[in-house]
Amino acid sequence: MTQLDGRGIVEVSDGGVSVELKGETMTLNIGPQHPSTHGVLRLVAEVDGERIAKLEPAIGYMHRGKEKLAEVRTYAQITALINRIDWVSGFANEVAFIRAVEQLMGVEPAPRAQMIRLILTELTRISNHLVFASSYPLELGAFTPLMWAFREREHIMDVIESATGGRFHPNFNRVGGVKPAAGGGKTQKKVSLDLPAGFYAAVENAMDRAELACDELDDLVTGNEMIQMRAKGVGIISYDDVIAYGISGPNARASGVPTDLRKLETGLLPYEGIDFDVITRENGDAFDRYLVRILEIRESIKIVRQAIGSVPDGPLQAKVPRVLKVPPGSIYVRAENPKGEMGYYIVSQGGRIPYRVKIRSASFSNISILSKVAVGQLIPDLVATMGSLDFVLGDVDR
Amino acid sequence: MTDSPSENTPEGFAADFAAEIGAERWTADNDTVHVYVTRDKWVAAATAARDEAGLGFFSFLSAVDWAKEVAVGEPADDVDNLVERYEVLCRLSSATEASAIILATSLDKDDAWLDSLTSVYAGAAWHERETAEMFGIEFRGHPNLIHLYLPDSFEGHPLRKSFALGAREVKPWPGTVDVEELPSTTNVEAAALSGDDTAQSAPEGEGS
Repeated sequence: MTQLDGRGIVEVSDGGVSVELKGETMTLNIGPQHPSTHGVLRLVAEVDGERIAKLEPAIGYMHRGKEKLAEVRTYAQITALINRIDWVSGFANEVAFIRAVEQLMGVEPAPRAQMIRLILTELTRISNHLVFASSYPLELGAFTPLMWAFREREHIMDVIESATGGRFHPNFNRVGGVKPAAGGGKTQKKVSLDLPAGFYAAVENAMDRAELACDELDDLVTGNEMIQMRAKGVGIISYDDVIAYGISGPNARASGVPTDLRKLETGLLPYEGIDFDVITRENGDAFDRYLVRILEIRESIKIVRQAIGSVPDGPLQAKVPRVLKVPPGSIYVRAENPKGEMGYYIVSQGGRIPYRVKIRSASFSNISILSKVAVGQLIPDLVATMGSLDFVLGDVDR
Repeated sequence: MTDSPSENTPEGFAADFAAEIGAERWTADNDTVHVYVTRDKWVAAATAARDEAGLGFFSFLSAVDWAKEVAVGEPADDVDNLVERYEVLCRLSSATEASAIILATSLDKDDAWLDSLTSVYAGAAWHERETAEMFGIEFRGHPNLIHLYLPDSFEGHPLRKSFALGAREVKPWPGTVDVEELPSTTNVEAAALSGDDTAQSAPEGEGS
């Protein structure tokens, strides 16, 4: 007989399984090594026949203790730590943290750097959503979209790499601006002090390709009858649950909550002059969560095209002290990460390293709804629901 | 929400809300509103935030360990006047507007318990489990207060300031030790080789 203890650890006794399970629910472990769990997530499901009676996610396999590690690092070193939280959107992780430090220090970042941050954040968003749009159909049994979307995503990764030197972990933000870009210098000794030559043209090209990818995905996935049958009406999250569980980002907008920190947190990045829509849907099911992201790619393309035309001239860095000492105080700054609300609560005591950093990551709150939404579902529908939440285990466990 | 003009600023919002729930005090430094309540008002204040102030979006719950002695990192600013305590923080915001508060309460270190918010905000469950295992704070009324990240057998509470970080035990920080000198090229030898007699010991880097 199998049974759950409090933590969801399964104890198997010596008894004959087939005899004792008659008429009872069965405990099924999904993961931690399972293709549909995006890393090491374990779902302990109590199944009654084909239906899930109870579900408890067991997390922590990827817990790296970043909040503790941040307590022994300087502010400049922490950016390298935090762009590994959600590794599918590394650059976007850095922005809220660096803006929080800037606000505590009273540093006004260079306007040019701010616009470059905005562009790279949106490129990261497109890249993140393309990963979603490729891996989600895979979970529903379609392989081709993975290849097609990853092909186009590669152009965006190339652009990010050309500016920052890193594909996944840019570590590009500095207090007061961004780091002088890698490459472009004539000799090894000279470093380029700005974006590499041909950057804007490469961005334009990547945007054209991304738009093409959206069209292709619409043809291949969005209008696909089998995808719609698998995802429509599955894993519905209500408006009230979005609020109570703290679900944010595209998952919230798919349930009709018009929340977008790009519009709300106006002081963060220069989004005011840029025209774009907040995409919302009404049904809150897996298909709407997919659709919101596809439509958001198109909005982000719009944003990037406007932004590259309005990057101001000037230095990439504001003047900051060589040794960063942050005045005592505490602050919470959040940004619209591709997965939702990514925020940092920083307590400074006036030194070079923070006294406490609390990392508020989107995926953590987003998947805490799983144990509620999964009850009564079939197991294949659970996979369709889980995939549609677009989480990354690094962002859950931190 | 915007009946009174004072609510349009973080300060005005904080003052109005603090008066409404009978808070101890409030601050709005760095555009971050903290509203401090006593432990017995914790659940009532969170409920009022949701029902009266429209702050139904559960952002996060965590804590800060204020300790006179720290095993890792830098100590607090004014250690002599520091009151040792756990400060539990819960950020509640509006989903569609910028208004938000961080509800805060202080817990005595020998008596670290707090009523659970799970009956008010469903999303609090995981956050409270994390705070419980990381700081050793008990959340009374929590339906399932077991470890979230850590193995069952794990002892200690990692985010307490008294909890040492293994990596820093074996390798001190900060300083030049992070970059060890190569055995054959000490600064003196390097200076001699290059004929540069102004070379001194390596300047202390910004971070490492």
